[in-house]
Amino acid sequence: MVVTFQLNGEDCSFHGDPMTPLVDILRRERFLTGTKAVCREGFCGACTVHVDDEAVPSCLKPIGLVQGCAVTTIEGLSSGNQALHPLQANLEAADAVQCGMCCPGIVMSLSAFVRDNPHASRPEIKAAMVGNICRCTGYERIVDAVADCLDQARKAGQSVGGLHV
Amino acid sequence: MSELSATVMNLPRRDAQDKLRGRTKYTNDRVRPDMLHAVLLRSTVSAGRIRKLDLSAALRCPGVRAVATGADAPGLYGIGIADHPLLAIDTIRYHGEPIAVVAAETEKQARAALAAIVLEIEPLAPVSTMAEALQPAARLVHEGWRGYEVITEGGARAGNIAWEAKSSRGDVDAAFARPDIRIVESSFTVGRQSHVPFEPRVAIGSWEDGRAHIQTSTQVPWTVRNVTGRVMQLAPGRVRVTVPPVGGGFGLKFDASIEPITALLARMTGRTVVLENTRQEEMATCLCRENAEIRIRSAVTAEGYIAGREAVVLMDCGAYGGEQVFLTTMTAHTLGGNYRVGATRLVSRAVYTNTPPNGAFRACNGVYNTFALERHTDEICDALGFDPMEFRKKNVLGDGDLGATGQVFEADVLGPMLDRMETLRASTGTSEAKADSRLYGIATTVGTWFVFVGPSAATVNLNADGSATLVTSGVEIGSGTMVQSLPQIVAGQLGLAPDQVIVREADTDAAGLDVGVGGGRTTVSIGAASIAACAEVREKLLRTAGEMLQTRPEDLVLRDGRVEITGRPGSGMSIPAVVAHAQATTGPITGSGAFAARNTPAMSGCAMGHFIDALDIPVFVVHEAEVAVDPDTGHVEVLAYRVVQDVGRALNPRAILGQIQGGVVQGLGYALHEEVTLTADGRIAQDDFETYRLPLAQDVVPVAADLYEGAPSMGPLGTKGAGEVPILAVGAAIGCAVARAIGKPVRQLPLTPPRVLRLLHEREPPPEFPHVAPGWALNTLG
Repeated sequence: MVVTFQLNGEDCSFHGDPMTPLVDILRRERFLTGTKAVCREGFCGACTVHVDDEAVPSCLKPIGLVQGCAVTTIEGLSSGNQALHPLQANLEAADAVQCGMCCPGIVMSLSAFVRDNPHASRPEIKAAMVGNICRCTGYERIVDAVADCLDQARKAGQSVGGLHV
Repeated sequence: MSELSATVMNLPRRDAQDKLRGRTKYTNDRVRPDMLHAVLLRSTVSAGRIRKLDLSAALRCPGVRAVATGADAPGLYGIGIADHPLLAIDTIRYHGEPIAVVAAETEKQARAALAAIVLEIEPLAPVSTMAEALQPAARLVHEGWRGYEVITEGGARAGNIAWEAKSSRGDVDAAFARPDIRIVESSFTVGRQSHVPFEPRVAIGSWEDGRAHIQTSTQVPWTVRNVTGRVMQLAPGRVRVTVPPVGGGFGLKFDASIEPITALLARMTGRTVVLENTRQEEMATCLCRENAEIRIRSAVTAEGYIAGREAVVLMDCGAYGGEQVFLTTMTAHTLGGNYRVGATRLVSRAVYTNTPPNGAFRACNGVYNTFALERHTDEICDALGFDPMEFRKKNVLGDGDLGATGQVFEADVLGPMLDRMETLRASTGTSEAKADSRLYGIATTVGTWFVFVGPSAATVNLNADGSATLVTSGVEIGSGTMVQSLPQIVAGQLGLAPDQVIVREADTDAAGLDVGVGGGRTTVSIGAASIAACAEVREKLLRTAGEMLQTRPEDLVLRDGRVEITGRPGSGMSIPAVVAHAQATTGPITGSGAFAARNTPAMSGCAMGHFIDALDIPVFVVHEAEVAVDPDTGHVEVLAYRVVQDVGRALNPRAILGQIQGGVVQGLGYALHEEVTLTADGRIAQDDFETYRLPLAQDVVPVAADLYEGAPSMGPLGTKGAGEVPILAVGAAIGCAVARAIGKPVRQLPLTPPRVLRLLHEREPPPEFPHVAPGWALNTLG
């Protein structure tokens, strides 16, 4: 079967089993290894990508279901020399990175969240992180970074989603 | 000290941007289409004998390039004792043990070939628990234990006791016979903890110019090199190990495991081979923090003096000795730490069972021994009517006090740290109001840990652009030492900015020996070696500059990228100018440095079978937890958490606070819901993220922390390791707080809601150890 979709803004086609998880196409065929395959069961969130602007775990997304969709990976969120997405910049500023393997998934999950929830409270941010596990940091600095990101956007009178690809 | 002020800063991580952009290439991101994929045939029984292993059909499968078994790499490895084959040879000792490996063009082809291997195993009755293993008539997990090579001498061994370490100081029998004491006895049991690094164990092996090259996700490149040499019966120098950024370790990657298999297959095929554990394999064969059983008795006077103490600690090493053999040493320093004790004797035994082997995990051994010691301390206070905080203040180790092996501790550290905790609590306030109608508990606990020093080497090359290249065998596992403390240290020594210090990732062909990244040792040991290397660089740099400036080298200083005449800022010349001159005249400026443990003495005759008789650098913590227990559900909510940590000198306070938050949360998982159990057939039941309950964002609170500086340390600039120890006393603080909240003794972790409910309703049987003899000496090999 042939599946055609957009990947980070470019047309892309896949020939093969439509049940192949999207994460495997990204990592093994496109070498977009920023998307991490950690639990492969939808619990950890490390493989989160955007499919038509919605954050989804790519391990649970059969490639056949992205026919005609726009897929954005971490590599497409701020590519080349582009500035970091404001959430990435806040995560860096909060010293929220340790081993770093959860980071791309956290960025993809929460970049959609901050776009859609400009007034989220700290408990709401934590609730939104139920699908993202971090084994290193103990979470609080990640929550700080999300809160800072929303704060800055509110002060600037912008939505964080404006920068979303 | 000017170099100190130039070193201490909240330097951000240089690897953060790439990690956040998904550009960092971990080992498992380096798989290329031309690599072979290896998969392992693993045992589905926990004990047995291999009766038939026929590879012929597998070798004929499409895409297969090699199939290997234990016969292809027959050397045994281990820590202390060489008891571990790379792939099972004749005997199966645990469920999940690798027996054979297939390398094929694709993973799918390799798995298809795996199914074509003919394997017949004659099952044996497994030795499933330490209680079974210690029965006089127990089957031996290692029938040939006597014949194993002993790598480190000194431990007593017998049958299913892989290793025994003892410490004994003073007349314990006399202390327990005193008329003025009360005896308090407690028993504790704890389960395993799985590390769950996001990057599983993975290696990429190739065979280059007659040598193995392994790229791998490890904390110990030199161990991987040496173990690969052992099992393949090669000189270790024929193995090169390089380490990309590591996606989490926490101790799991402090031993070699699957890495040598890739070298073996690369030699057989001439191709590059990747082997990566699936998540299920990773969790089912995790070298967990070991399950343990602890019995501790103390003789305490009415005034609160601990006249005598004795303990038996059983540590399940699983099917192979591994790290537990070494870790028996730690009981003397963890269970034997914290308090001033008159006479003491402790025995710690690593016991073989037919279960997946255990390993090292952040503050190994210390986490559960601290839980046991602190809960025992509270039971002493309950029995004798002491206030727990006052009892601790009165009895914590101070200047001149003796440890269990007779080591003399320097300076009052824990006492002032307890005072600092009270100050911290006063500043944050307490959270009792948040408990609402639930049961509230608060507990303050202490812990003793150390820095695992050991050898390190460093080379510093000073470049003509004013940058310096630091070459070590250090590995960045996430803790930040390679991107924060080490460049800060080198920059501070050489008058550079940290971004001018290039830090080479580990390559055993480029850097000297190193024990590895673990035990809180990197900043201390590699840092000290780096300072020694910088001293040689400085000496050469100042000598050259002195000639150029016609000034004595001792009148010169390095500051802001310049060699300046002391007291005359802006004088002299830039470092690049001096380096360029040296390169043209005396040669490039390089320096090398080395570091080794000081080997602080124990009291003669006190430590038996120990790998470390005394702690070169003790590290102390004070942890305080506030909890609310729901009496209807048994759920424990952590309301607040506070830490005072002995850091010696904080080079990067913000980075240390990040380690404390992360380490405490890992400890909360251990204390409350990370539970590993074994099925009836010896399998780890929790082998995925659905069944193993990791902490989530909603489970955690911001940890309030105070860094205690100034305790003595032989570490460079007065540092101590800061990343290992934050997990140390979490089980203790939570266990004590929950016990106080529910008014029942807590003697087991984790405190899952069902267990807490059983405790509340007095339906949780206390731990009983019929396999631990009533007399202490009967639990030793004499």
